[in-house]
Amino acid sequence: MAFFIILWMAGLSLRLIKIQVIDHIQLKATVLQQNHNIGTILPKRGTIYDRGGQILARSLPAPSIFFSPFENESLQNQLNKIIKLKEVLNLSPKEIQRIKARIEKKDRFIWIKRKVTPQQAKKIKSLRLPGIFLKEENKRFYPQGKLAAHVLGGVGIDEDGQSGIEWKYNTKLRGKEGKHLILLDAKKREYRFETIKEPEAGKDLILTIDETIQYIAEKELEIAVLKHKASWGTVIIAQPDTGEIMAMANYPSYNPNNYPPSPLELDRNKAIHYNFEPGSTFKIVTASAALESKRVSLDDTFDCGQGVIYFAGRTISDHHKFSLLSFPEIIRYSSNVGAIRIGQNVGERFFYQTIKNFGFGDKTGIDLPAEEIGIFRALNNWSKISLASLSIGQEISVTAIQLLQSISLIANKGLLTNPKIVKKILISPYEARERPAHYRRVLSKTTAEIMIKMLESVVQEGTGKKAQIKGYKIAGKTGTAQKFDSSIGAYSSTRHTASFVGFVPVDKPVFSMVVVIDEPKGKYYGGDVASPLFCKIAQRLLLYLRIPPQKDSPKPLITAKLWSRNQR
Amino acid sequence: MIRKKFSKKEIALGIFTAIFIIFILTFYIWHQMESVQMGYETGKQEEKVSALREDVKKLETKKASLLALERIEKIAKEELKLAPAKEYQIIYDDFNPTP
Repeated sequence: MAFFIILWMAGLSLRLIKIQVIDHIQLKATVLQQNHNIGTILPKRGTIYDRGGQILARSLPAPSIFFSPFENESLQNQLNKIIKLKEVLNLSPKEIQRIKARIEKKDRFIWIKRKVTPQQAKKIKSLRLPGIFLKEENKRFYPQGKLAAHVLGGVGIDEDGQSGIEWKYNTKLRGKEGKHLILLDAKKREYRFETIKEPEAGKDLILTIDETIQYIAEKELEIAVLKHKASWGTVIIAQPDTGEIMAMANYPSYNPNNYPPSPLELDRNKAIHYNFEPGSTFKIVTASAALESKRVSLDDTFDCGQGVIYFAGRTISDHHKFSLLSFPEIIRYSSNVGAIRIGQNVGERFFYQTIKNFGFGDKTGIDLPAEEIGIFRALNNWSKISLASLSIGQEISVTAIQLLQSISLIANKGLLTNPKIVKKILISPYEARERPAHYRRVLSKTTAEIMIKMLESVVQEGTGKKAQIKGYKIAGKTGTAQKFDSSIGAYSSTRHTASFVGFVPVDKPVFSMVVVIDEPKGKYYGGDVASPLFCKIAQRLLLYLRIPPQKDSPKPLITAKLWSRNQR
Repeated sequence: MIRKKFSKKEIALGIFTAIFIIFILTFYIWHQMESVQMGYETGKQEEKVSALREDVKKLETKKASLLALERIEKIAKEELKLAPAKEYQIIYDDFNPTP
């Protein structure tokens, strides 16, 4: 009896030695594989605020549903579970087909639906379907809807920036993933998490955009584009002294909550991506070059040939039969013939250099992706007609942001500053990094001041009268450019781009603005289409920014104030 | 074999030492358990704080959505029947015209 007991105990001991000592490493590895799992901790994407601290974009938790079928689970059983989810998750036939195909391929991890609502997640949980799990992810929300869509851009399903600020600053916004160790029990239930590497949250951004100014610009632009049955329109508003963009509006637009937009072209930010011939707004450059070169003085007069000029074998006409005009009058009434005469006086070399100094043909450096440089030919590629064409804003393609930069430079007394959209990057709750403004002198202060006076007269007495606002001094320039029709190889008489650039108040500019309306139907002059839009937006902005009128006293009012007993 | 006799003093000392050791061990085990409990409690509270922070963010985002200017304008026009102010209705408090 004792012998058998000893034998039994020896056998048990040998077994224990085999498990605990000999097979120890292999068994431990198997256990770890079964009950350990390394999971990724998604970082929180940074929030985007406007300059006043209003939320423009933020990521919030949004659970995603996935299916992990058990081994030896029948195909029919798996499909039945999916059918049960169909109603709750509103799965389309296409989605069901996709899931079915993955099940038939015997995939161990199948996404059912990404980033569902909390209500849907709750319903799924209550169904208690084995093999159906919830995974916490983050979803990007844009609480203001369409506001500043082209500035913000959009993100893909995995919260990667696809356009706009979301793309440009993706690395800063995204943060860095962390890792955690998940311990599982015998039933594969997670019971403990241990962080191996902490995630690094994305940085928050504060934009230069003002929510209210952006809304005003978008609203008025939409009204104008629809009223004139135009193809598209864009408005950019900036602080001329700092280059900070307060609004960048495009119409038509899209809602970044439903990214990507349909059609995809809606994604393109026309303010920085589309080129167009500026037409008469470019006379700002012509006039600036004339003053800076000192080859033309304010007292000079020019024969505007009754609205016709012959230049290098081409006939160029005016919108009106002007005869003799002074230099300021040429700008005021936007005479093409007069501008060409001024250009001739300036000369090709100086004019080319001035255009380059204004920043045309180069990126402005705005911190948004896909900025176009426009089309501006090098001096050695100019033809005999180039000087005349360029003097009136033809034979050059510019972007709206480049035009804004040119008017801002005048408003800023000759100093060019780069436009910017991101005001600050919040490194931590207590530390922010701000992008400094860079200045470059393009025009002398004297030239700029004369230009301001001339542009003020454009609005007071010239082609920009419809931009007038009672009580305020405004400086600006209208532009009407014929669009080149490649099918006929000539400029079209029916397709135009109407524009207006300006700033207000003249003495101490608070904002500068560019307005571009493409292919308006019916009226198409800048003075008739773009100037009124500038006026409407500027009026609302002046009220919002609490800038009182500078001239024309209001009607006298008798006001009464209610005094309380304590105030007497 | 002679069995050693312990004096009363030695027995008392032995009992006292045993009680003391048991007391220390009990205290140590109790302390460990309390620490673990507090750890669980801290973990739970941290999760609560984290969840509340998320709730705050959700509410802030909801607030931003409710205060979206398009929505406010729609309510102002359609429900409250408000209209934009006319020029003569705007009064400047600190009007100071430049000469």
